[in-house]
Amino acid sequence: MAALPGKRSGGWNGCMTSSAATPVIDVERLNVRYGDFHAVKDLSFQVGRGEFYALLGTNGAGKTSTLETVEGHRAASSGTVRVFGRNPRERAAVRPRTGIMLQESGFSPDLTVRESVRLIGSLTRRTDRVERLLGVVGLTDKAGTKVSQLSGGEKRRLDFATAVYGTPELVFLDEPTTGLDIQSRDDLWDAVDRLREDGSTIVLTTHYLEEAQQRADRIGLMHQGVFHREGTVAELTRTLPATIRFALPPSAPELPIPATRESDGTFLVETLGLQKDLHVLLGWAEDHAVELRELQAGPTRLDDVFRSIGSERAA
Amino acid sequence: MLAIARSELIQIFRNRLVLVTMLIIPAASSAFYMYLHDRIPGLDLGAVAAVLMFLVVTMGLYTTAVTTLASRRQNLFLKRLRSTALDDPRILAGLLLPVTLITVAQVAVILTVLSVVADPPAELLLLVVSVLATVVMMVGLALATAGVTNSPEHAQVTTLPVLVGVLAIVGWVGFTGTEELTQLKRLLPGGSAAELVVNAWNGGASVADSLFLLAPTLAWVAVAVVLAARVFRWEPRR
Repeated sequence: MAALPGKRSGGWNGCMTSSAATPVIDVERLNVRYGDFHAVKDLSFQVGRGEFYALLGTNGAGKTSTLETVEGHRAASSGTVRVFGRNPRERAAVRPRTGIMLQESGFSPDLTVRESVRLIGSLTRRTDRVERLLGVVGLTDKAGTKVSQLSGGEKRRLDFATAVYGTPELVFLDEPTTGLDIQSRDDLWDAVDRLREDGSTIVLTTHYLEEAQQRADRIGLMHQGVFHREGTVAELTRTLPATIRFALPPSAPELPIPATRESDGTFLVETLGLQKDLHVLLGWAEDHAVELRELQAGPTRLDDVFRSIGSERAA
Repeated sequence: MLAIARSELIQIFRNRLVLVTMLIIPAASSAFYMYLHDRIPGLDLGAVAAVLMFLVVTMGLYTTAVTTLASRRQNLFLKRLRSTALDDPRILAGLLLPVTLITVAQVAVILTVLSVVADPPAELLLLVVSVLATVVMMVGLALATAGVTNSPEHAQVTTLPVLVGVLAIVGWVGFTGTEELTQLKRLLPGGSAAELVVNAWNGGASVADSLFLLAPTLAWVAVAVVLAARVFRWEPRR
């Protein structure tokens, strides 16, 4: 993959703090309604310059409606949305500084890869070299291929290439890695890392929670049109217990800490004091010469935060 | 806008079906009418010109424009274009510019052939004005029709009422004149435009009276634009 050069012009120095004076995205009491259905309810959030913000949610939580409103594809029913201090529907003002990777590819099947990147890229009013972008997404060999002949993953990469054309200050990535193989996924995140080095602000939605957990500075977790939780990954997972999992031989003596036996025969310990309980467990195993098979211990994963929404919903 | 127009032109020449619809069918129809003109003496030349022009504008421009817009919406290309810095009018203009220019060129060629084969038009400028007004009206109707068209296949159904209706009206007005049912014939879409072409080709009508005939056509443009603004959709229904 080729490097993304810092092509940006103007007096912007790529400050990485999230507390920059003016937020890149400022959403205040946003409401989106479709007829009787209230998709987004009084949602407020900000994304600072250089920040990586992940907008996550259960199906039908309202994240697509929120994202499309912030992108400028949809009008708010009420509330205000500002991007670079402007209404995102003022395309001429906002879009030259914004790259958008749509959830579904929308390319003309009869155009080639090169023609598609050149067309959409030129309409952003930014400048870049088509060949460079094809290198970034690994589609150089497909430059002359018609879009109709690309695989799903190749279309996603084409989509990414048009979004990062000219290294925009703000990039929306709507489920960017869906349908990508591991290698392409890694390459895409490498390219995103270089965008961040250039100071770009990233807004991500994804179903791969690991991606958000590893990369996002902050996460807005939506459920039924509102934020179920919002904050850093640590803030989101802090409220839920960490877990220890292991299997025991049948002859093992009684455990020193409370544990539940899972359906597959392994034991699960949920704890708010991971270090202490793990120490106790390991000491006990050492003392009794018990082998803790398939031992795993770790902080709460974002998946568990999601599952907790599910169980609250069921309750 | 010109970048979109250029990419549309590339696609027109790559998509054989669109190319056939746009070039072969109007050309073949025109050749048939010219054949009739040779065989049937006394055929009203102005009426023939009106029907020929409308054949090209309805089948070449109107139908193609509706199909193109429905197809670009269905594969989310419209949404993609709206993700750039370009505003909506320029997106539509870019998409429809090539097919519109090709149609105008086709009409020019066919009417030139007609004026060489038979007699040239009496009022060339009036003819040009009436052709342009008709083109604008059909583009407007295409935008409105595209709003109620879900897919390129669906366009085969949704374009029929305007396609058949306008052609029938033009044939009726062209060949029977507007002596009777004057108001009705002039108010129907394409009616006054057809009369204008007949007047421009055959001559004999005063220019002031003829210019008055532009009003119903422009009114249809307004109706089409209002309808389009209400029903045009940029994204497929979910």
